[in-house]
Amino acid sequence: MAASISGYTFSSVCYHSANSNSDHEGFLLGEVRQEETLSISDSQISSSEFLHIVEVHNHEPCAQLFSFYDYAGKVNEENLNRILKDRRKNVIGWYRFRRNTQQQMSFREQVIHKQLTNILGIPDLVFLLFSFISTANSSTHALEYVLFRPNRRYNQRISLSIPNLGNTSQQEYKVSSVPNTSKNYASVIKEHGAEFFDKDGVIKDIRAIFQVYSALQDKVQAVCAEVDQSERVKEKIQEEVKKLKEEISLRKRITAAEERRHQESLNTENHSLQDDSALSDSSSPPSLTRVLLQSPPLEVSLDWPPNSTALPLYPAAPAPPPAPPSAILLPRPQAVGSPGHPSPGLGLGNGDGSSSDSLNRQAIGQEDQLEEEEEEEDEDEDSSEYENLVSERLQSPSLTDTAVSLGRPAALWPDGDTHSSGGSS
Amino acid sequence: MNSLSPEVALSRISPELRPLLCSVVRNGRVGLDSTNCLRITDLKTGCTSLTPGPCCDRFKLHIPYAGETLKWDIIFNARDPELPPDFIFGEDAEFLPEPSELPHLVAWDAGDPDCLLQLVKELLQQYHQYQCQRLRDSSRLLFEYDSLLEDPNYGRSMEIYAGRKNSWTGEFSARFLLKLPVDFSNIPIYLLKDTALDPGEDVALLSVSFEDAEATQVFPKLFLSPSIEHALGGPSALHIPAFPSGGCLIDYVPQVCQLLTNKVQYVIQGYHKRREYIAAFLSHFGMGVVEYDAVGFTKLTLLLMWKDFCFLVHVSSCAGCCFCAVMITKTHRHALN
Repeated sequence: MAASISGYTFSSVCYHSANSNSDHEGFLLGEVRQEETLSISDSQISSSEFLHIVEVHNHEPCAQLFSFYDYAGKVNEENLNRILKDRRKNVIGWYRFRRNTQQQMSFREQVIHKQLTNILGIPDLVFLLFSFISTANSSTHALEYVLFRPNRRYNQRISLSIPNLGNTSQQEYKVSSVPNTSKNYASVIKEHGAEFFDKDGVIKDIRAIFQVYSALQDKVQAVCAEVDQSERVKEKIQEEVKKLKEEISLRKRITAAEERRHQESLNTENHSLQDDSALSDSSSPPSLTRVLLQSPPLEVSLDWPPNSTALPLYPAAPAPPPAPPSAILLPRPQAVGSPGHPSPGLGLGNGDGSSSDSLNRQAIGQEDQLEEEEEEEDEDEDSSEYENLVSERLQSPSLTDTAVSLGRPAALWPDGDTHSSGGSS
Repeated sequence: MNSLSPEVALSRISPELRPLLCSVVRNGRVGLDSTNCLRITDLKTGCTSLTPGPCCDRFKLHIPYAGETLKWDIIFNARDPELPPDFIFGEDAEFLPEPSELPHLVAWDAGDPDCLLQLVKELLQQYHQYQCQRLRDSSRLLFEYDSLLEDPNYGRSMEIYAGRKNSWTGEFSARFLLKLPVDFSNIPIYLLKDTALDPGEDVALLSVSFEDAEATQVFPKLFLSPSIEHALGGPSALHIPAFPSGGCLIDYVPQVCQLLTNKVQYVIQGYHKRREYIAAFLSHFGMGVVEYDAVGFTKLTLLLMWKDFCFLVHVSSCAGCCFCAVMITKTHRHALN
């Protein structure tokens, strides 16, 4: 069993008692409630504990001693009803104040308590004893209080707690469950409460704050959804990039294999056509200018919310621009038979003016443009070297022929690096 | 414990309550041990500290009972002196007397100086009943009590104090204090101490302490009032026998009582014998009596002569016995002339 008393009730009782010049007594008003605590632990499924809590809300002081009992301690029920009036049902105990005495129930108090228990019909009637002890020189005064449960064995003592009476710096301020029974307080609150309380009795500001909190929560939830979606899109795009890279490396391997085969076949032809250096008839300049190769369209499905103000993680990818005529990559078109026109044996053409290499290079060059812009310089250098090589060929055909005879000019590999076999790098 | 003299205690009590306490401290003899008076200590007040004194209205009352001293708190209210007091029975928290059986409480009269003293005596009677009820925890001790109760010589003058039962060992102790029905009235007056110093009743109390419920450790002790103790020859003159193993009080107490009675009779008879002895000497040698103890009849001096030989005869005996010692002193005839 536990008991609590509000600070103002306790101080009121103390005030009445301390100001009396003799012993003082009265009744305690309040209620008794029962709390059930369910605890679940590893050792047992559940255990419930019942706790009776006595709450003291108010007190009714008696005007004088022996006001409801006689010299023998016999309680007079009429006098008792006159003192308690309509608050008899709220009685949960009674109290006594006496100075400089032991914290022990006296003979008469025990006699009265037994009778009150029977008359009021309260089996667990409590008794609160106040003692005021002073030192001989009146320098120190101590107010002691003990709550008894006399109907139990050995006059069981119960701990009486006073909310917020203690070191509140280390404890949080508690809202007492003891209601305020003051009529004046109730009337003031009723009169002015509408300015601060809504119809449910909740302070309006609190409700407004809760609304702000709810709105913030909704926004956070929405942003979470957006983040989730964008993360998924990003994941999808990363998957696509990965696939494209794999495709590119596959094509490179295919291209490299074809080139090797082509080179081998050309070498074989060179040997057989070594005296005949006539160029293959080609009326049309080698159409190396297949400028535009349709790159596989980017399958990007960006479902942006119409009203979203968030910045998209991936800016709207513009339509892949047509591959600029990468003059830096393409050999300068020249007429067939022109001194600068590279021979098919150089592996620069298929004889019909097309160059699978150039096509591949074109495609590769596009990829490089998308992926690695920092190699444009190298490409420029390479292309310039390529042009230079061509121009050198034009300028010094003998040298060119010699270079041709020696090996192929520099070719731009898909990775952007320039590999030259014998030529300038 | 601040033990105060009666006068000091009375001076600090609230004037309205002083007559009640005056009766207690001056005439307060309760129980079997009437040699000890009631004492008052720990005077306190129920008024505020700003109240001018004397205003003490609550105190602790020390009551001798069954060899123990009960310390009861008595609580008055100086602002309401006509109201009866309240009591706190110290360590006997379970003692709850029946108010209807306390006439001086039901009809409390603050104007009667003896009201408080009478109320205390009534409470003591109920306390005695309460202690006797507690003997029911031990059948052996209850038997002792019931057997003594049946004997009218001891049943009415008995105080019992039942100790606390040891919850660990289960041991239970008790003390019986009995007033022995011995007649001391015939003890010669001269053997008693100055009655002005010891105005109390001459009493012999036998205290028997049972340290365990099975009566295997029993310690008897005899208490005599100072005058009786002096009349019998001092503390070492009388030794009571030890409590017999397996014995019971109903056999032992009469044995002690008889022993004491025999001792008293011996003292009385010795006095009478000595007086008769001295009387016989006086009747034979009345002219030769120099001096004699006319109170205790313990000494007699005779002057005798035989053939011009004069001598003094000193006859003496100790109080309480008839043994006489004679001493003869030779004197010179001329000295007698």
